[in-house]
Amino acid sequence: MLKFLAERIGSAILTVLGASIIAFVVLRALPTDPARLIAGPFATEDVLNNVRAQMGLNQPLVVQYVDYVTSFFRGDWGFSYGAGKPVLPLIAERLPASGELALFAFIAAFAAAVLLTVLVSFTRSRLLDGVLRAVSFVSVGVPPFWISLLLLMLFFERLGWFPGPVGRGPAPGQLVTGFFTIDYLLAGDPRGALNALWHIALPGTALALGSFGYLVRLLRANLLDVVHEPFVTVLHSKGVPPVSTHFRHILPNAFLPTLTAGGLILAQLLGGSVLVEQIFTWPGIGTLVIDGITRQDYAVVQSFILLSAVIYIFVNLLVDLLYGWVDPRVRRS
Amino acid sequence: MPRKIALTLRDPELLVGVVILAALVLVAVAGPFLWRVDPLQIDLLGSLSPPSLAHPMGTDDNGRDVFARFIWGAQVSIGVALAVTLAGTLIGGLLGLMAGLAGGWLDLILSRIMDAILAFPPLILAMAVAIGLGAGMVSAMIGVVLAAIPWYFRLLRGEVMRLRGLMYVESARALGASDLRLIRLHILPQTLSTILIQASSVFSFSIITMAALGFVGLGIQPPVPEWGTMITEGLAYALTGQWWLGVFPGLGIFALAVAGNMIADRLRDIYDPKSGVGV
Repeated sequence: MLKFLAERIGSAILTVLGASIIAFVVLRALPTDPARLIAGPFATEDVLNNVRAQMGLNQPLVVQYVDYVTSFFRGDWGFSYGAGKPVLPLIAERLPASGELALFAFIAAFAAAVLLTVLVSFTRSRLLDGVLRAVSFVSVGVPPFWISLLLLMLFFERLGWFPGPVGRGPAPGQLVTGFFTIDYLLAGDPRGALNALWHIALPGTALALGSFGYLVRLLRANLLDVVHEPFVTVLHSKGVPPVSTHFRHILPNAFLPTLTAGGLILAQLLGGSVLVEQIFTWPGIGTLVIDGITRQDYAVVQSFILLSAVIYIFVNLLVDLLYGWVDPRVRRS
Repeated sequence: MPRKIALTLRDPELLVGVVILAALVLVAVAGPFLWRVDPLQIDLLGSLSPPSLAHPMGTDDNGRDVFARFIWGAQVSIGVALAVTLAGTLIGGLLGLMAGLAGGWLDLILSRIMDAILAFPPLILAMAVAIGLGAGMVSAMIGVVLAAIPWYFRLLRGEVMRLRGLMYVESARALGASDLRLIRLHILPQTLSTILIQASSVFSFSIITMAALGFVGLGIQPPVPEWGTMITEGLAYALTGQWWLGVFPGLGIFALAVAGNMIADRLRDIYDPKSGVGV
């Protein structure tokens, strides 16, 4: 186990290094002037020179890179000229909004995918299976920003069932976790929590669809694989009732490999939040990034890019370790 | 193989995917000749008019015909996605072949680079490249290609390593076949179906990602009719009743992406049943 642990962690650190080199090359060493990228198109020569000196752009590339990586991990992510604030607190104060949205999207996607796939596989209906497959194709192929638009037009403008693009709704009196639903519950106000959830419903659905479709496909393929394993035939021939076979033996085995999709789903949520939040004026990191792009305030965007890679690698590592812990076969290979 | 080809031709789901794709390609290719309306023609007096016979998809805020823009947008989207898919296949596939055949240091270095690229969520990597190179069509395309390269790399590297160990390839090598001959006659033909499956997935991915980049302002720039930017333009009118601005271009993206995924999925089931779910 220790060897497995050391191997995976070492590999993750190497990947972080590689990712930081790529982010550096893509954003800094390309022909565009990074100082202009940070300071914006209307910056005067004075400001540009200032930024250049601050970023150490007159230093050799290797020194610049080392500087870039160390300051990233020290938490010195530069200064956003658009917001007039350092980037780190700017991102930190937006984190709960994005986190809450992503969490609920994930829960919804996971619960719906497991429930539907398991039920359909249990009924063994070809028709329902076809419908489920179609649904999964549709959810994977639908662009998140377009479905956001459709959801708003239908459920807000036409039907008026859900709030429009007004963000998270009223904030609870006291912020503890920054997740409105949880904070309302902590304050003993379930109506407030429901209201927060009501605001999450549409953007959460838009964000969840892609992951949902992917999970359905994965789980369905796994279930089909496991159903044909010899041990299932043995269970049948020993007279174990189908319900018990299905839920106690097939499901756990089919479930395990979906763990590995955790990283991929996180990538979808990270990328999707950039596309969905803006439309619902959700005050999260995605909106911050889009604002940064349109205002050409790239300090925020640059930090977000490397940050998302680091988060992604970390979650993949976590998934790997978890998988190795749950399934001893993985450790040995 | 012939049995599989027969299966391919008779597969209803595959047929649906191909028909959707073919219909949109037809729209892109023949559309401009049949619907002779300039997608850039501004007519401020006729702006924001709902779908009618004169404008089947209505007009936008500048009075431009949305149907004409949809047609030209199809051309742009399909053309760009094909170019991106081709570039990704060639570059990623070639690197994968090299790494798989050469092994050793080259393999180690290339694999490490690919791992580093894979460390980014694909959309965010494409965004980064588009920002670094300056927003526009070419930088966005380079970004999407870069995100797709590691998928092909891993696929071909794995295939080559697997095939290289097989008896018939070793025999050919023992008979003195050169690397090039091995690739051309013994390895590439075996991997074609895998490449095709991957390419269909990447086609879908690039359709959605290019539109997403257009949507956030990092892709193809206005006034070129591109589906993603058309949705952005339609956003302002989505809640005031002018639904046609955003709905139609999104429908195009959606149909192409689903068609690509369906084709990939069915081809995988027919030719490569063991590999499970792809990207």
